[in-house]
Amino acid sequence: MTHSKVYPDAAVPRRAQPSKARQDGLLAYLLMSPALLYLLVVMAVPFLWALYTSFTDKTIGAPAHFIGLQNYLSLLTDPGFWQAVRNTLLFTAGAVIAKVIFGMAMALVLNQNIRFRNFFRVLLFLPWTIPSIVSVFTWQWLYSDVGGVLSDLLMRLHLIESPLPWLASPSLAMFSVILVNVWRGVPFVGIAVLAGLQSISHDQHEAAMIDGAGMLARFRHITLPGVREVTLLTAVITTIWTLNDFEIIWLLTRGGPANATQVLSTLSYTEGFLNLHIGKAIAIAVVTLPALIWLINYVTRRSLSDSNPAH
Amino acid sequence: MKTSPFQQTLLYLILAVMVVCALFPIYWMLNTSLKLPQEVYNIAPTYFPKRVVFTAYQQLVDKFQFLVNIKNSVIVSVVVSVFSILVSMLAAYAISKLQFKGRGMISKLILYAYLMPHAVLFIPLYIFVTTMGLSNSIWGLIVIYPTITIPYATWMLISYFGSIPVAIEEAAMIDGCSRLEAMVKIVFPLAAPGIAATAIFAFTLCWSEYLYALVVISDSAQKTVTLGLSDMVVGDVFSWGPLMGGSIVASIPVVIMYLVSSRYLVGGMTLGSVK
Repeated sequence: MTHSKVYPDAAVPRRAQPSKARQDGLLAYLLMSPALLYLLVVMAVPFLWALYTSFTDKTIGAPAHFIGLQNYLSLLTDPGFWQAVRNTLLFTAGAVIAKVIFGMAMALVLNQNIRFRNFFRVLLFLPWTIPSIVSVFTWQWLYSDVGGVLSDLLMRLHLIESPLPWLASPSLAMFSVILVNVWRGVPFVGIAVLAGLQSISHDQHEAAMIDGAGMLARFRHITLPGVREVTLLTAVITTIWTLNDFEIIWLLTRGGPANATQVLSTLSYTEGFLNLHIGKAIAIAVVTLPALIWLINYVTRRSLSDSNPAH
Repeated sequence: MKTSPFQQTLLYLILAVMVVCALFPIYWMLNTSLKLPQEVYNIAPTYFPKRVVFTAYQQLVDKFQFLVNIKNSVIVSVVVSVFSILVSMLAAYAISKLQFKGRGMISKLILYAYLMPHAVLFIPLYIFVTTMGLSNSIWGLIVIYPTITIPYATWMLISYFGSIPVAIEEAAMIDGCSRLEAMVKIVFPLAAPGIAATAIFAFTLCWSEYLYALVVISDSAQKTVTLGLSDMVVGDVFSWGPLMGGSIVASIPVVIMYLVSSRYLVGGMTLGSVK
């Protein structure tokens, strides 16, 4: 946090220092207690309980027995699990890279001197605002093999001859689910990078231009370094969200066809709510925790060091 | 900065492509929702409705219980966002304005809670709701949605409160205000736009939530908008007309709210990232 001192000593003239500090501390915990109590009871305790459950053979409607690491060991030897790990990495990497590239392009365009800039900013931001589930169903309709407009458009442009099996073919399905995630996620990256771009001073660009730097040189030496931090932070936050995206894949493919799009979040849901193996389902979610904690730690370090809210 | 006419044209061309990519799916939603069912199921899609009809929207009411879904979503989202914003204002004030032991750790925990994905938490929360006997009721959602909104709202408000100069509060306290009076009479009113924007955004988070609702609720009278939409898909049969109409209806409130509050949201975002 930047404000190392909340108020200078002179501001509180009539009271002795130690008691003031203690009063502040007491008041702080009093003010935080509703939020902290709630998060403790509804978030932390169930989470720890679930962590314990992943070491049991808990199924829905039956008591649990402690079985040690068995859930985790059985995952290690399960080819379905490893496929989900690979798919999760592929989905996340593909989606995040595309979102950063297109988001940057969006920010660069919106940072130019264009007419009705705010209007266009709002328009380009729309995909991020509508509920995720709405974008999923809309894309499902665009992808439909009967009456789907995406295949129709490509056929009219003579790029393909017959409708593509967007979601039905194992090789195409991963691309299709990534595309939906990218469509939704680009505006978030775009707006964040735009904010970074707007903080680069014009003087720097003009000085470089006077020194004879071309457009590409200015992009490489001024623009890119200027937005590096905010882009990296945004990319990491997006990675955290993408890594655990459930809705897009669950609603579009249920992890199919032939597990081609099965990721850890959908596998966990299937294991827990269709096969009723709660213990194993939690184990699948827990496996993602180390990577997740590493990423969240990065965000925390970066954000807290400049008291910089992530959103 | 000067750009050549060629660069100008290229710029607007790229912008046009981006706008088309961003908006075409949304246009298609609207287009589909205004067609007659026969036209929707044409093999070759039509790019404009032959005749604009509201059959799809009528079906939302007659065939599906979309009004019930909307009512449930409104109740859940309003109750949760009001509760969360009140609780978060107090916590954010403490973290942003007071010195106390463990401040660093608590702000870190808040950020952790905010970023912890739903896919990791949905089973613990499901079990919590079941244990409380609240499964299959919107009360189950009202109890767990603050796990999403409190960390989010607290985190946003910390930065809004932080942007209010300490000097203003100090002056009030020298004039005899207590800390709490300064908080309620000075800081909260000055941060009102930020508080409103955060509350609005908390509302949209609840309104759009799907995974927790999916695991908690199966009784159709208790279903929220997102569940109502997914219920319009039965096996391989998609009622595209009402589904797209419902999607439009579900999007309108959140889009309006974004438009109203985006100035402050983006403001809040830049506040930090520009430093």
